[in-house]
Amino acid sequence: MERLVALSCPQLLSEGERGEEPRAFLEVVHAVEAFCPWVETTSLGVCTLPARGPSRFFGGEASFVAQLRVAVAEVLGDEEAVGVGVADGLFAALLAARSDEVVAPGETAGFLAPWPVGVLGRPDLAVTLPRLGVHTLGQFAALPTRHVLARFGADAAACHRVARGEEGDLVGLRDPAVARRLRRLDGELPDVTPQAGFFGGVSDADVRAARTLARLQERLGPEAVVVGRLSGGRGPAERARLLPWGSRDADPASAPVPDGAPWPGRLPPPSPVTVLLRPRPAEVVDRADRPVRVTGRGLLSASPQRISVDGGPFADVGAWAGPYPATDRWWSTRRRQARLQVVLDSGGALLLAAERGHWSVEAAYD
Amino acid sequence: MFVQAPSGAGGRARDGARERPDLAALAARARPVSSAASRLLPLPAPLAPLFSDRALRRGSTTMVTGAPGAGATTLALTLLVGASRSGSWCGLVGLADPGVVAMAELGLDLLRLALVPAPGGAWAEAAATLLDGVDVVLVRAPGRVGLTAGRLLSARAKERKSALVVLGARAADWPEAPDLTVTVTGSTWVGIGTGHGHLRGRRAELSVTGRRSAGRETRHTVWLPAAAGAAAPLDAGHAGRSA
Repeated sequence: MERLVALSCPQLLSEGERGEEPRAFLEVVHAVEAFCPWVETTSLGVCTLPARGPSRFFGGEASFVAQLRVAVAEVLGDEEAVGVGVADGLFAALLAARSDEVVAPGETAGFLAPWPVGVLGRPDLAVTLPRLGVHTLGQFAALPTRHVLARFGADAAACHRVARGEEGDLVGLRDPAVARRLRRLDGELPDVTPQAGFFGGVSDADVRAARTLARLQERLGPEAVVVGRLSGGRGPAERARLLPWGSRDADPASAPVPDGAPWPGRLPPPSPVTVLLRPRPAEVVDRADRPVRVTGRGLLSASPQRISVDGGPFADVGAWAGPYPATDRWWSTRRRQARLQVVLDSGGALLLAAERGHWSVEAAYD
Repeated sequence: MFVQAPSGAGGRARDGARERPDLAALAARARPVSSAASRLLPLPAPLAPLFSDRALRRGSTTMVTGAPGAGATTLALTLLVGASRSGSWCGLVGLADPGVVAMAELGLDLLRLALVPAPGGAWAEAAATLLDGVDVVLVRAPGRVGLTAGRLLSARAKERKSALVVLGARAADWPEAPDLTVTVTGSTWVGIGTGHGHLRGRRAELSVTGRRSAGRETRHTVWLPAAAGAAAPLDAGHAGRSA
């Protein structure tokens, strides 16, 4: 685990009405960069830098910390305006900065033990663990690893390793939107698009929307308000996910960048505007009313003539294209799927999928 | 009656002119987030001619209708694209099975798009709440809308200076006369044959009526969508030409 120095400026942790904080913090970052170029902004008002190299150069850790403190106090005009912490790993260093402490190497777990579990930044754990009588990181660390993994999942297990001082980094400790914004303020990035993250929003509109959506979730439940994110995949349902607003994965910073990768078998745009959460069973028949099948070689047994959805009346097919094989392993017998685009004589277009001899309507192009 | 002629002539002269709207669109995107003070929300270029302001008016109610499968959903979503691209938040209520990939292809910014796919009985309340905090709200009306709910939502849009877009099977589903009604009167898919090709684009015929069109019905034909997945004006080349 890398030993880190973290600086936290309590007055600059959030943006006030006049919006001066980012610029003031940028000056702090510049002052710190005079000591070492490897300064990382983790969130507004908080930055970190490696401890070992600069400490050697500036006469030891204590001396380095003191010099940093003076430099930042000069920028902000206030000695109390900065907390400096030194510890192993990002998570401990950030907490050490809050309490203005130097945590000796190897004493991370002991330092973390008294902190409440809420500092992990996981709302679900912060609610659930205290109900189980686990209030502090020390108590959390004492739980058996496999129980944490089994009951709370992989993310909680990562938190658990951090609480035990075995690992120092955790998803969500950094706010990349802030780093980008400071770089833009600094003129490194052109200020072209009104790019905005949304947690704690950057533009007024983002803040207003966030408040409204949270209100709606209180009323309708967290799962009722969702956002869409793109992901890799072939079928329309696999290429996007709906995630509850506010969930970690819905944070644009954690979203995978969609998708330069080619997906053989993926249909070209335009994509269907209606993608059924539950595909509806369909029948596809040829001119002689015999069921149309997809053959082992990926061809249709006959031209589709009419289709029926959910056992409803048959509608005439005007045009069709496909089948597009859509399996990861087309030669495998486990999941052999093919898709068919169909335009009905009524003008509507549907996307059908065939699997194990059964057709279903997957999406519609309304 | 104004018919936007689908013309295929004058290819060379048009090639030069075609670059200019792109530049305008680029300039529009580079502008800062549209402020709440501005009365108008931008529309994507292909749909701007439908509206007398060439923009979506804040506080207005727009009704979008069409036969099932004709493209009303695509049209309603496209009305949100201009606002979304210039930094506005949009909300979708009652689109039970949203095609997120298509929304992205149409040009909606997914990072500023909130969906309430299954509000159940609380659809009007969900829409009213969203009108408080986002610039454009698209509601799929669950059948015929009662007078109270309709009035409430139109009034809320007016008061909060948001735009309300209502997607319904028939114009009569909305209890009050909307500011504008856009109907997909007919549409044709191109690019697909019997066993070959694939869906490349849909030519949609639109009819616009309502108070804001000065009582005159206008007719337009647009690609909804074109081959790239977004809407396009009809004269921007044949949608089937580029894959």
